[in-house]
Formats: sequence, C-alpha cells, structure tokens
Amino acid sequence: MELQAVVMAAGGGSRMMDLTYSMPKPLLPVGNKPLIWYPLNLLEKIGFEEVIVITTKEVHKQMNIDTKMKLEMVYIQEDADMGTADALRHIQQKIKTDILVVSCDLITDVALHEVVDLFRAHDATLSMLMSKTHEFTETVPGQKGKKKTGEQRDFVGVDSSGKRLLFMANEADLDEELVIKKSIMRKHPRMHIKTGLVDAHLYCLKKSVVDFLADNKSITSIRGELIPYLVRKQFSASTNSQKTKDDSEKNQKKTDLKTPDIHISSKDEDLLDLAREKSCWNDHRGDMSDAYHGGKLRCYVHIMEDSMCYRVNTLAAYIEANRLAPKVFSEELPIHPTAEISEQSMVGADSIIGAACHVSEKSSIKRSTIGASSCIKEKVKITNSIIMNGVTIEEGCNIQGSVICNQAVISRGADIKYCLVGSGQCIEAEAERNNEVIVGIDQLMEI
Amino acid sequence: MAGRTTKQGRSNPNTGNPGKRGPVGQDEEEQPLQAVLIADSFNRRFFPISKDQPRALLPLANVAMIDYTLEFLAAAGVQETFVFLCWMSSKIKEHLQKSKWCQPTSSNTVHIITSELYRSLGDVLRDVDAKTLVRSDFLLVCGDVVSNIDITPALQEHRNRRKREKNISVMTMIFKESSPGHRSRCQEDDIIVAVDSKTNRVLHYQKTLGLKKLQFPMNIFHNGSNEIEIRYDLLDCHISICSPQVAELFTDNFDYQTRNDFVRGLLVNEEILGNQIHLHVTGEQYGARVSNLLMYDAVSSDVVRRWVYPLTPEMNFTDEEGQTCTHSRRNVYRGADVSLGHGSQMVENVLIGRGTIIGSNCQISNSVIGNNCTIGDNVILDRTYIWNNVSIANDSNIMQCVLCDHVEVKQGVTLNQHCVLAFNVVVGPNLTLPEGTVVSMHHPDEEEEEDDEDEFLSDDAGVNNDPLKTKTKGYSSAELGSEGKGYIWRTANVSEAEEDELSQGLWGLTVNLDPESESESEVSEDSQEQDSRAASPELDDVNVFQVEVMGTLQRGMEESIGCDNLVLEINSLKYAYNITLKEVMQILTKVVLEFPIQQQGQELTSSQYSPLLIPLLKRWTPVFKNYVKRAQDHMDCLAAIEEFFLERVALWAAMVKVLMAFYQQEILAEEAILRWFSQGVTSDKSKLLRKNQGVQKFIQWLEEAEDESSEEDGK
Repeated sequence: MELQAVVMAAGGGSRMMDLTYSMPKPLLPVGNKPLIWYPLNLLEKIGFEEVIVITTKEVHKQMNIDTKMKLEMVYIQEDADMGTADALRHIQQKIKTDILVVSCDLITDVALHEVVDLFRAHDATLSMLMSKTHEFTETVPGQKGKKKTGEQRDFVGVDSSGKRLLFMANEADLDEELVIKKSIMRKHPRMHIKTGLVDAHLYCLKKSVVDFLADNKSITSIRGELIPYLVRKQFSASTNSQKTKDDSEKNQKKTDLKTPDIHISSKDEDLLDLAREKSCWNDHRGDMSDAYHGGKLRCYVHIMEDSMCYRVNTLAAYIEANRLAPKVFSEELPIHPTAEISEQSMVGADSIIGAACHVSEKSSIKRSTIGASSCIKEKVKITNSIIMNGVTIEEGCNIQGSVICNQAVISRGADIKYCLVGSGQCIEAEAERNNEVIVGIDQLMEI
Repeated sequence: MAGRTTKQGRSNPNTGNPGKRGPVGQDEEEQPLQAVLIADSFNRRFFPISKDQPRALLPLANVAMIDYTLEFLAAAGVQETFVFLCWMSSKIKEHLQKSKWCQPTSSNTVHIITSELYRSLGDVLRDVDAKTLVRSDFLLVCGDVVSNIDITPALQEHRNRRKREKNISVMTMIFKESSPGHRSRCQEDDIIVAVDSKTNRVLHYQKTLGLKKLQFPMNIFHNGSNEIEIRYDLLDCHISICSPQVAELFTDNFDYQTRNDFVRGLLVNEEILGNQIHLHVTGEQYGARVSNLLMYDAVSSDVVRRWVYPLTPEMNFTDEEGQTCTHSRRNVYRGADVSLGHGSQMVENVLIGRGTIIGSNCQISNSVIGNNCTIGDNVILDRTYIWNNVSIANDSNIMQCVLCDHVEVKQGVTLNQHCVLAFNVVVGPNLTLPEGTVVSMHHPDEEEEEDDEDEFLSDDAGVNNDPLKTKTKGYSSAELGSEGKGYIWRTANVSEAEEDELSQGLWGLTVNLDPESESESEVSEDSQEQDSRAASPELDDVNVFQVEVMGTLQRGMEESIGCDNLVLEINSLKYAYNITLKEVMQILTKVVLEFPIQQQGQELTSSQYSPLLIPLLKRWTPVFKNYVKRAQDHMDCLAAIEEFFLERVALWAAMVKVLMAFYQQEILAEEAILRWFSQGVTSDKSKLLRKNQGVQKFIQWLEEAEDESSEEDGK
C-alpha cells in the first residue's frame, strides 16, 4: 500500500448555510448522488481499495453509498470545532504510510496520477492540486447583483517548470507589498506568480508530516496553516542543513519547548541520495548545486489547465456542479428505471430523474435534476433547476433556475424563478417568487 | 558556441548594406535607424586607469571597447550614430576619426558631439531632446557594451507595440538570460524584474544589491494579468530601444540622472504618465557591459573563448592593419611577429598581440597580451591582461591582474590577485605585491582633492586641467621595490573613502560574496518568523491584545485619560482581536500587576512593589469594576493574580497588600477571596502561596470580619 486515502467529510458547509441547514454537506445531492460519492468514486477509479472517511455520526447514519472500497469510518464530534489538521492528528494511529487527503466537496475529472506522480518522482513532502478559478455564470438565488470575485486572491509562486511550489500567500495577509526572499530567487531565478487559482483541497502528504502534526498541536487547519508552513519551510536553513545534529541536541531542542521541527526522512533515504549523487539528473539548471539544492522538504503542485474541477462550497458552485457533473460522470442512465414518466411529458436528455419519481402528462423538464420519490404533476415546466428528494410540484407550476430542497411542496400554478426553497417549505398556490431564499424562520442564520 | 548561429542571417556591415531590418509598415515612412552612444561612464570605476585613458578606449582583447559597441550598432543596422563625448573627448575623437567608422564607406554615419557639461546619461538625453537629433526609435547604448545580439526581433516587437498602442510603450530594454552566479553577471547590476509574461511588460524593476528580501508592490498584481513572472536570471545588457519620447521624458523630469532613475520613475508614475516599459530577453546571444574590472575580466575571457562570435580576435573587425592574428586550438591566438621562446607553453585561451616577444619556459593561460610586449624567461601568467609595450622580466608570477601600457615588471616579482598596475608604473625587482594592490603614477592625494569638488564628476574631469601635476614625493621603494615607480592607491583610498565607494572597488564586489554565509545569517531570522507563525493564531491575538492593553494603560497614565475612555478603548481592542470577556479580565489584571515591573525593571523587591502598584490600582478601579461583576469574574481575577505571583516568588510578601487593595477598592468581594483561598489550589506551589504568612493573616482577618458582620446580621 503506497498511499492511504483519507476523505474529509465532517465540514459543516458554513458558506452555504441555506442548503446545509437541513442536510449535511457530504450528502447534498449532485446529479442525484451525494456529494461525497464524487471523491470516493475518484479514489475507486484509480484503484484504492480502502479509504478512511472522517465524518460525523449523523452523516454516516444517512450515508448510503454504493462502493466496492472498504470504508473505514472515523467519527469526530460535530460540535468539537475541529480543523482539518486536527482531524488528521485524530487518526494519526491509523496512518501507516504516506497519505492522500481529499475533501468531500471535490468534484473533478483530473487524472489523479499527475498529482501522485509528482509526489513520487520528486520524493516530495507535499503535492497538491490546483485549478483555474471558475466564473460562475448561472444566476444564484438570493444574490443581488454580481458578486465580487477575487477579493482575496491567493498568490502562488511556481518555478519555471510550473510544478515546484515556491511561494504561497493570501492577499489578506499581505500589506502593501509581496515579499520574497532573495535566497529563494537565487535558487529558482524564474518564478511565476499565479493568481487565478483555486486550491482543490487534494493533498499527498508524507507520513512524517502527520507525525509532525501530532507533535505540533498548534496547527489546526491543513490549508490555512500546514501548507503555508511547509511551503515556507522548504527554504529555511534548519530543515536543509544536513542531519549532522546529534540526537542530544535534538532532544535539547524539544525540551526548550520550541516548535518541534519537521523531520522529513524516508526509509530509503541513503539509497536515494546515492542515486541522486550518481545520476546526472538535476531539477534545476543555472548553477552547480546538487539536485533540489540539498533540500529535503519539497512541495509540488499540479495545476489543471482545462479539466473540470469544482469545490462545492458555495451555492453558486453547487448549482454549477449540478449542471456539469452529470455530463462528465454519466455512467448510469439519466432516468432511473423505477421512475414513472408519462409518455406525454417531455424530459430533456440533459436531465436526470431519480428513483420512484413520478412525472405526469404535459410536463416538461429541461436541464434539471429531479431527486428520488419526487412527484411532478401535470403541465409543470422545470428548467435549469435542482429538485431534491420527495418534492411535490403541483399542476401548472413554472420553475426556473431554482433549487428546491427535500420534501418541499410547490402548490399549483406557482411561478418560481431563481429561488432557493428550503426543505419542508410549502409555497402557496399561484405565488410568484423571484430571486429569493425561502426558508423557515428557524433556519434563518443567526447573526 | 552560442553566438555562432546568430550571425548568419545578418549582413556584413562592411559591404555597405545597412543590415537586415524587420519589415516596417508600408504606410509609415521608413526612417533610418539611429543610435545614441554615450562614450562616458560618468563614474570613476576605472580609476586610476581612466585617468590616462578614457574607458571607451581601454583595450579589451586588444581592441578598444568603443569599437565593439560601434560594430554591434552597425550589425544591428544602425545608419546614424551620435557619439557623445565628455571626459578626454579629444582622445576618443582622434580614435574615431582614424577608425573605419569615419571612412566614407561606413554604413553607419558617426556624428561626434562633445561637451564638458555632461554629468550623466540624463544630461546627454536632455541634449538629444534639445537638439532634436532623433526622429524615430533609437538605440541607446554606452561606449563599453560588448554584444552580438541580433536586435531585429526586439525592434520589431517594439515597433508593433508602438503601432498597436500609440506612444504607450516608450522603451524596450534588452536582457540576456544568465543564471545567478554566472561570471558575466555584474554584481552591481544585479536586478530583479517582475514582468507580465504575456506582454513582456516590465512591472517592477529593482537593483537587488545588498537586499535580502525582495519587495513587490501589490499594485503590480492588480492590473488584470494573472501570469506574472519574477525573474532573477537576467543580465542587463545596457542596450535599450527607445522612442523619441524617452528624450522628452528626461527633459520633463530633470532629476533623472541614470537610466535606472528613468525606469524606476516611469514604473512608479505609470498611472500618471501612462507610459510602459517592455523587455526583450535573449537566451543564446551575448551582451554585457564592462562596468568594472571584474566584468572586464569576464568579458575579455568571453571574447577569447568566442562567445561573442563573430566579434572574435582573429576577425579583425576594426580593419586595422597589423591586427590580424591566427587562431589555433584551445583558443590560442597569435598576432604577427610573435616570438615564443623554447619551452614556453600557451595553455589555453591566450591572445598575444603583434610584435610581442616571450622568453623561454613561460606558462601562459587565460591571458591577453598586447602589442610589442617583452616577457622574460620562466614567467607564469594566469588570467592576466597585459596591454601594449609592457615588459616583464624573468621569474615573474602574475595572477589575475591588469597591467596597463608601458608597465615594467622587474625580475622576480609576484603579483597576487586583483593587482592593477596603471600606465608607466615600474615595480620590482624581487617583490610580492599583496592582493588587490593598485599602483598608479598619479598620486592618490591629487585625486582626493578633486573628489571634493563635484560628486557627479564625469570620468575624470578635473584632472584634465593639469594632467602633469606630479608631486615630487618619492616613490616608496619598500612597497614597490628598489626600482619601483608609482604610488600605491588602494590602501589610502579605502580608509578615507565613503562607504559607498568602498563597496564599489575597482574590481567590483564579487570577490567574496559567499552565498553560504548569507543563508546562514538568514537562519535565525527565519526560525523566528516561523516560530511566531507556527503558534496558533489565537494565541497570537491574545499576545497582541496584551501588548495593546499595556500600551493603552501607559498612554492613559501619561495623558491622564479618564477611565471611561480606557474602558472604551479596551472594549474596541477586545472586538478587534476577538478576545473573550474572561481573557480580557485576566489580561487586564496581569497587565496592571506587571505595570510597576515594566516601569521600574525586574529587580523590584516586594517592599518597593506594593507602594508603586496601589496608587495604580486606585486609579484604575473603575476599569476593573467594569469587567469584574459576576461571581465567576471575581474568581477569574483572583486566578490571574495568583498566576502572576506564582511566577514571581520574590514578590510574595506583597501579595497580601495587593489583595487588600483589591478588597478595599471593592473590586473583589470577600466571599470570592475566601472561596478562592479554600478551593483554588491547583498545584503544590499554589498551596505554598496560600501558606504565605501575610495571606494567612489576611484571610483570617477577613473571616473574622465576616463573622462579625454575620453576627451583626444575626442580631
């Protein structure tokens, strides 16, 4: 087993509260599959047989996923407010090899081996996946006007090959200037600073990083703290100095209550060093230093150019993912065999109908997803919408660009455009709603 | 040999063809390409050599530097060149008039413009503007640039940009790719450039000499491009393609002295002026400016090693008679009438000028020897540049030195690295000169006097007036040998010169720029940075908050700010750093208790401590009362007090006074204190603290008081 896969599925989805109020984020339906199916499918496709899923009890109870992999569930307290790094620390005992961490909200068709190959080829400490930022074109319910995008951009510095991750900073952390150490530039004289990128939250990490986390309790988040730390640490002299420090010194350091240093070493290290020494291969040109300038900690990034990659962490991304995911992952029939579709209705080929659905006569469904056990009555028009499970839509409704959550009831003749209807809500007959978020009083976010 | 392929497409300037030029738009009237060549460096980097000969005429591989520049311009297709002279203009003028450039067959018409008033590149360009010499895009180079770069593509890009957006891009700078640490990189010219990789537009340009951290203003990342490249692998060739606006801009901004000023100024004011600068990077071709002796060394060896092909020694591109030489294996060039003694070896990369006589059993490597030199027997030369009419006697050993015209080295002399013997100097016999010795016939004091006159002195302006003002001081025979003639420069100069000049020695600074040492020094800084970052942000906020509260209280003392306002300030800090109420109280207590220590130092004894603290407590009682309200607050406050005293055993005696003060000011209730005393024991030490005599007494007193009061109640 080269890599252990870990899926992080305990996040609350705090950026899409209207949706996740009634349903945990990992279970949100995207193309009639729970969100978590996508990362699991990604792992299964490239041959993982076992996956550790970090989640809450509640999610596991409701989760019903058809996969051949052996899922090992690890629960964490819902209200424990644990960060992703905390979660990794939590399962440290289970980690035996290097790990591949995936977030449950990642939908991508990336060739995952690209990331893993970087990790292998360079004996990297970290390799991660990034993709170009998406412009969401669809109208988002409850959102007035254009949302300002790119307010807090990440600055990502890569070397001339575009793979080695040299620098990372968030705009929010920078004042007037972006500061780069000259010693980095001396080692990597060409640095591309990229801004239009999003982190896919998919990381290959060395086992020693998990061990380091166990020693260093102050790091709580992988993305927020661990990754920037590793990127910075690549060029700090203490990691790169040869391991000449004798053990007593190391011990002393620990007793000094300093932050424990990360010790990157692999069991074949001597052999690898020898191979590198004997080989004429080098990762850089321009100076005469050894490959990697003798550094042991190396971070790499694979930047996807044009494949699909979404992180479903906002409502806009959720809608966009629903629109696109079925096209890419269409292994199954778009219309479930148990669905009852009247012959006189029109169901577009780009729509998905879930199990035990009932679609009555003269209804038309275009570019939409209908969840299981929903009931669509006569003369209903649905375009560009997401209908979750057990929804009832009565006669003559017109639904456009909306998200209708579980068990909602849309009474006859309602006209709903670009709305989010919360679960269990009932829309009165002949109502006209436009660009609204319709949720119960108790669901309104406390501010 | 990177340069070899590049020349093929270009025509030979001697045939009269103005060179290949990119097609220019038909509608545009085709202007002949012009160039501005500044044959003055406006600095003293080559002192004292340049006291006798201007930099542009110094021989590099036995050809004057300005000839390389003119040859480059001709090859680039320049048809009209304005050569600006200042220092020793007559010498350069004479040289130019003799050269092929002033022959009627020359494809490149050379106009010589002389003025003693130029003090900088800025002055020259302002004059260009005043005289309206340039009609369209022109090349701007210095008289010490050696290059074989084919600028056609750069020129084409420049013109396309100019056509696309009228008058936006004013300058295209030409750079050569060269990794850090390459010998042709001039340390003084070390630059970092941020460039938009799609448009090649320069966004940031900075000299990095002496910087450890490179800073890029955020606004360069806001201009819509998300593909920005930061490049540290560029060598500035000091060749720029300028639009006529450049000259105008120099006129408008009379404070621009150098091109660096211009580029920085333009980038900073980009939004106001709306002008842009672009760059062109060449990978394979050669371009460098001889800006100090180290560069002289690097460029000379590059010429000998044929990196600047076709500008190689045997080409004799200056068409001077008698300059021909033969080229044989291992880059050994011999001029006419060279005689080489028995057993002498020319190891590799050696150029020997015409009429030079070399004795027997010499070993010469990586060196250039000029015309009509005499070299004795058993001489070892390595990386040494010997100009014309030099004589070196037997058994000399010379490493990486420069020997100017008519220098005489007597028998048995050893010159260590970086020695410079200027014109007509005599050293020896039997002498060893230490590393970096500079000897000149001019007395250094002469120089000192002139130094004061003008900071921006053009090469050597002052000396011109009385070049033969030789002082009648004797030569130091101890330092230069019994027959020595000349004055040692280096030592005297270094001690008195300003720090700036110190760092700009004749040989530049590469001498010992050890990258290792630098990274070592970064370690400490680095680890600090990381430590602070590694700690959880929460903790950081608390610390910052504490510092801020401390500052607020201090200010409150100094400016006697009312307690209400202090509370307001602390509250706003609380929100800013997201601090809980409990923490606010603990920190406030801690800060107040530490206050006397902060003011008076750590050595405070307990008897000194309490008189200092109690007035403070009285003063800030309203602040405390604002935060200490519920029963739990009392306990937290007491816990903070306890924590403070646990850390400072020496002050235990004062604890009772502190508690008393808190009690008397009615900040802490007696029930709370009693409860704390009976319950709050967390460690052995805190148990010990409670056993403290004063505290015991105080508690006893409190208990009695309580009994009394309850008895009273009972009645």
